Amino acid sequence: MDFTLNEDHLALRDSATNFLNKEVDLSVLLTHERTVKDADYDGLWQKIVGLGWPGIVVPEEYGGLGMDYIDLIMIIGEMGRTLAPAPFFGTLAGAWAIEKAGSTAQKEDLLQRVTGGELKLCLALSDANGQFGEGVSVTSEKNTHTLNGEKTFVVDANSADKIVVMTQGDTFFIVDKNAPGVSVSFLPWRDITREVCSVSFDNTRAERLESTGAGNWQWIKDRLYLLLAAESAAGTAASLADSVEYANERVAFGRPIGAFQAIKHQLAEIAAQSECAIAGVQYAAWALSNNDEKASLAAAMAQAYASEVYKTATHRNIQVYGAIGFTWEMKNHLFYKRARANSELLGSARQQREEVINWLEVNEAA
Amino acid sequence: MDFNLPDDSDPRRLEIRSWFEANPNPSYKDIADRGLSAPNWPAPWGLSADPELQYIIEGEFGRAGVAPPYNINAIAVNQCGQSLLAHGTEEQRKTFLPPALSCEHIWCMLFSEPSGGSDLAAVRTTARLDGDHYVINGQKIWTSAADKATIGILVARTDSSKTKHKGLSQFILDMNTPGVTVRPIYDMSGEENEYNEVFFDDVRIPVDRLLGKEGDGWRLVMEQLQTERSAMTKPGAVWGMGPTAREMVTGLIETGRIKDPLVRDEAAELYIEGEMLRLLVFRNMSNRINGTPAGLEGNLGKMIASPHGQKLSDLAKRSQGAAGLLVNPDVLPLPDKHYGLFSNWDYAFWFGPASTLGVGTQEILKNTVAEHVLGLPRDIDPTARVPFEDINKSKLKAVSQ
Repeated sequence: MDFTLNEDHLALRDSATNFLNKEVDLSVLLTHERTVKDADYDGLWQKIVGLGWPGIVVPEEYGGLGMDYIDLIMIIGEMGRTLAPAPFFGTLAGAWAIEKAGSTAQKEDLLQRVTGGELKLCLALSDANGQFGEGVSVTSEKNTHTLNGEKTFVVDANSADKIVVMTQGDTFFIVDKNAPGVSVSFLPWRDITREVCSVSFDNTRAERLESTGAGNWQWIKDRLYLLLAAESAAGTAASLADSVEYANERVAFGRPIGAFQAIKHQLAEIAAQSECAIAGVQYAAWALSNNDEKASLAAAMAQAYASEVYKTATHRNIQVYGAIGFTWEMKNHLFYKRARANSELLGSARQQREEVINWLEVNEAA
Repeated sequence: MDFNLPDDSDPRRLEIRSWFEANPNPSYKDIADRGLSAPNWPAPWGLSADPELQYIIEGEFGRAGVAPPYNINAIAVNQCGQSLLAHGTEEQRKTFLPPALSCEHIWCMLFSEPSGGSDLAAVRTTARLDGDHYVINGQKIWTSAADKATIGILVARTDSSKTKHKGLSQFILDMNTPGVTVRPIYDMSGEENEYNEVFFDDVRIPVDRLLGKEGDGWRLVMEQLQTERSAMTKPGAVWGMGPTAREMVTGLIETGRIKDPLVRDEAAELYIEGEMLRLLVFRNMSNRINGTPAGLEGNLGKMIASPHGQKLSDLAKRSQGAAGLLVNPDVLPLPDKHYGLFSNWDYAFWFGPASTLGVGTQEILKNTVAEHVLGLPRDIDPTARVPFEDINKSKLKAVSQ
């Protein structure tokens, strides 16, 4: 057993830290009425492609680096810590759908291009009510599939070259964004560090990913939980560090406000929860990398826990700053909004907790 | 990174298991002779066991149905015995450690006083040097196991002209010394008596029972509390000594109470928190195996673990409704296991308020985490920098109003 990160993990994380500290500048968003369109999504992505990150968890047989999910969260954590605006989430999500549901030929073609940075993806999951697999209907005639309907809350759809669409029955289709009948619009999404769009299809021809059936979505969802949880855990640590720094600087009643127990106790609580979130995310990454029998449980636990802690930490961060932390010109709200988004995008913590209890009922009850 | 725990095929586990199989119902002398009382200690006392081997040994005690020495004599094999190992004289180690490890001597820790619980350094019990003895006068309170103990580790003030943290010393006290009076405290659980008051009336301790040097008292206290808190981070009721969230969920499933949607969600939340704590414990274990110095993470873990245990027993009790108010240990089914005192949810619940008081209140722990882990400014203590004997003078009282 070894529950700690090794030197390679730390080196990978440090390189991501250095790169993102240099390249990510959120200040451009800190003027009233700025949106994600001002965030230079594509500019950062080009540099990320230069580092080879798109292929980090793509299996080696499809041209990727074939690294494991612990390596991945070293990078995702840093992207979460800096709220790096780039279409990485969508590309990873789409690539996982292809890895799980694609035929060998589909994987060889598409994943190779993802790794090379030629192809950005997104994964269209839910309808406007947040129902996964709903919103788009399929008409199939022989090998011709036609999509109609609308998907909502699609991360990175605007940047994507291809859209992977989940439909009923754990079935996935892939569509060119420029194909006839496809229309992508930005949603007025509060978290402006991330592109979130709706995508509609009007008699759009689509290619089906070969493998259908139960288990595909669970496999993909486990990994998406890990992504969000890794972002949230690192975001929590960043938000806490920011609160601590401010509480050490800001003076009131002749003392730094961090000397007052009303503040220090709350930050101490977040410190403990933050450590737990990090440990939970690392465990989930390990469990998924090793196809552990508890991998789905670990992923749901990490997402439920980290998303709740992130919300608490970012709200507390604004409270510690006082009224200035409530202004658009400070970056506090960007983290607060990301925390809210991460806790709803794939279903609430309550839903993941239901998955946890359900898992225990099925697997642990005598 | 490898989250696999040493399983049933681990050779070290098999070795320990075969010893328990060859020695069913071992005496604590047998256990001590095999090095299993304090396995992390060096030879001849222990096995220099790394945390992983300690974990294995803990599991094998459970499997054999034997209460481990740290449940029976925690002060000796955990926090204070280690102080003797590190700071005691050769003669002290030879005299006191063997009977401690074999649980012939039960130890207690004489720290808290009526006027100083959270403000632990405000010790008023005095130790005055008189020839080749120290003479002790004063009172301690909240002393676990004082009624059973033959040895007490005592903190007393040897120099009142110094500041409150600097004038303290520690002593190894024979609890049978004339002038020592132990009086039980009946706590709110109304069950077994856990805590005591201890009075010292001209109690004479030979000078060779001083632990470390005069004035070392506070440094030793800090080390001992750190060790103690680290041991209290396990997920479960009452500092991890009682049943766990895993067992609570299993009990709720077995009784069907898990079907209540509110119980269900809360149970899941607590289950997850318990698993996160477990991971934190294992990570700290790995850090120690990897040679990363044990830091203050024990405070951090206990800060979550104590309320976690309270929340667990609270939910277990609430799942009973009004029947939970009956004096009745039968709350939820539990596996047959050695929980020591806290073998049912009922006692774990009614004892619960103690778990955010004992070994540092929750508020003191949060101060420690905020100040020493996060680096936030220290609290103001107007009594910290003046000679202890001046603290009660009116001037300071006015400052600290």
